[in-house]
Amino acid sequence: MAKTAAEWNAPPKFPASHYVDSRVYTDNALFEEEKEKIFRPSWIIACHESELPATYDYRLFTHPAGVPLIVIRGDDSKVRAFYNICPHRGNTILYDPSGNAKRMTCIFHQWSFDVRGNCVDISRGEQGYQERFRKEDAALREVKCEVAFGGFVWVNLTDDCVSLRDFMGGAMEILEPYMVQPMEVFHYHKARVRTNFKLWHDTNSEFYHDYLHYFNRITGMMQPGYFDRKYTGFPNGHATVGSMQIQYDKYEGSKERAVGWPGLARGGWYMVDLFPGMTYNLRTSVMRIDVSIPLGPNEVLIEFRGMGLKSDTAEERRQRVFDHNMIWGPFGRNLHEDLLGVHGQGRAMRRGTDSRWVIQGREENNTIHDEVGMRHYYAEWSRRMGRPAYDPYREGKAEPVRAAA
Amino acid sequence: MKTEQRQAVEELVYRSCLALDAKDYKAFLALCDEDFRYTISTYSPEIRKEMVWLDHDRKGMETLFTNLPRHNSDHSPLTRHATVYTVEEKGAGAEVVSALQVFKTDLDGGATELFAVGRFYDTVKFNGAGPKLARRVVRLDTRLLGYGYHIPF
Repeated sequence: MAKTAAEWNAPPKFPASHYVDSRVYTDNALFEEEKEKIFRPSWIIACHESELPATYDYRLFTHPAGVPLIVIRGDDSKVRAFYNICPHRGNTILYDPSGNAKRMTCIFHQWSFDVRGNCVDISRGEQGYQERFRKEDAALREVKCEVAFGGFVWVNLTDDCVSLRDFMGGAMEILEPYMVQPMEVFHYHKARVRTNFKLWHDTNSEFYHDYLHYFNRITGMMQPGYFDRKYTGFPNGHATVGSMQIQYDKYEGSKERAVGWPGLARGGWYMVDLFPGMTYNLRTSVMRIDVSIPLGPNEVLIEFRGMGLKSDTAEERRQRVFDHNMIWGPFGRNLHEDLLGVHGQGRAMRRGTDSRWVIQGREENNTIHDEVGMRHYYAEWSRRMGRPAYDPYREGKAEPVRAAA
Repeated sequence: MKTEQRQAVEELVYRSCLALDAKDYKAFLALCDEDFRYTISTYSPEIRKEMVWLDHDRKGMETLFTNLPRHNSDHSPLTRHATVYTVEEKGAGAEVVSALQVFKTDLDGGATELFAVGRFYDTVKFNGAGPKLARRVVRLDTRLLGYGYHIPF
């Protein structure tokens, strides 16, 4: 029987850990709080070291907390990250998304900075500032930066953050054996979608939505081992998904992947979902990396990278690109379906639509259709925000109906 | 190149747009040579690399078209607008460069937005029955495609 308004608004008949209030996806005040409490203190992937192969190579990155960053390789090969904000008049220093800059010079008044963030020239400095303000006072703001876990460049905006390895809490151990050989990026594109960033991470954190994907149903869900894949939760909201053997030849026009991945079993597939919005996805021959950059409570920019090995032959690389594109490219079978799915959620969950709850109630012994990955994420979200995701404004309308499982 | 030949080449490019706009894959493939190859490529200023986003021979395109109805897709129709810029005779064929704009129209309300711009770089073969597409490279300038699309341009 369809629900009345009162029934629609009543909390779902699950433990409070098994659903969230839809406002966590739509409320602007919560979004602003997320930037401070969640994104600022988290380690975030800014780019891959292969995007900075030479001394003075740089990449720009807009941090999910909103801060524009420059990531640059120094003359000592060290990768550092700075605010892309001139300390003089707050202007943008570098404009192109990548390049090579021995000196980073603000076009506005020609203040110039070296790759270690030191100000090396202030135009007519002495005439204007005399002894009151010198180059030493005008350095760039540096942020924590480490290259790790497959050669990715990680940044953190807080001075007193935990170490990157502590932040991971062991979540990357499942993938580290497969990231021994140096990787390089061969694919990069962004998708801007009118949806909340957490909904994209939710999609990466549950496989129940394989019903959306014809490719995954045929090559995975209908094959032995699929329902044995397990979720494992780690500290700080991260989760991993165990492997199976994907039967690629079950999809018409597809065949068993000719190129594998060092150490990975044939047809293997591991995932690591990292709080608050990054995913490592190693699927047989290609690694895909997602980084979500929220633009508002109902808009997200997702960066997609396709990774191969630096040692690839031309033919191996061609095959990896082909495999990547078949399911994950902008015209690929699965990516469009996933993005369409979260676009639909964004449509249905905008402010004023009277969407009320999102249920994450499946319990299947932590196996592939269990929604424990999402529950694990929202437990961490609630801890960091100091607000339960099922009742973010502590209105008491969503008390658990029974003890949490 | 004779005027009639150039007109036939231009019409081939335009008919390829009409066929894909109509999702008439049989009609599109009928415009293609047996050795047809289709590629979507672009350059990323972010990673400073050439990228291939789709690459299929004729058989691969046939399979793609067979599989698409089995998938969940955005049903908003696309309108491909091509303008043939240059047609250069080359052996028993021609190299053709066309501007491409792709528009997407919402099913609900019918609002149209520019979806992508780029160029077609086509290699055309002159067969007895008329010109056929032997090679098409869709060179995209647009790289931000929202939630994407399943049907090639």
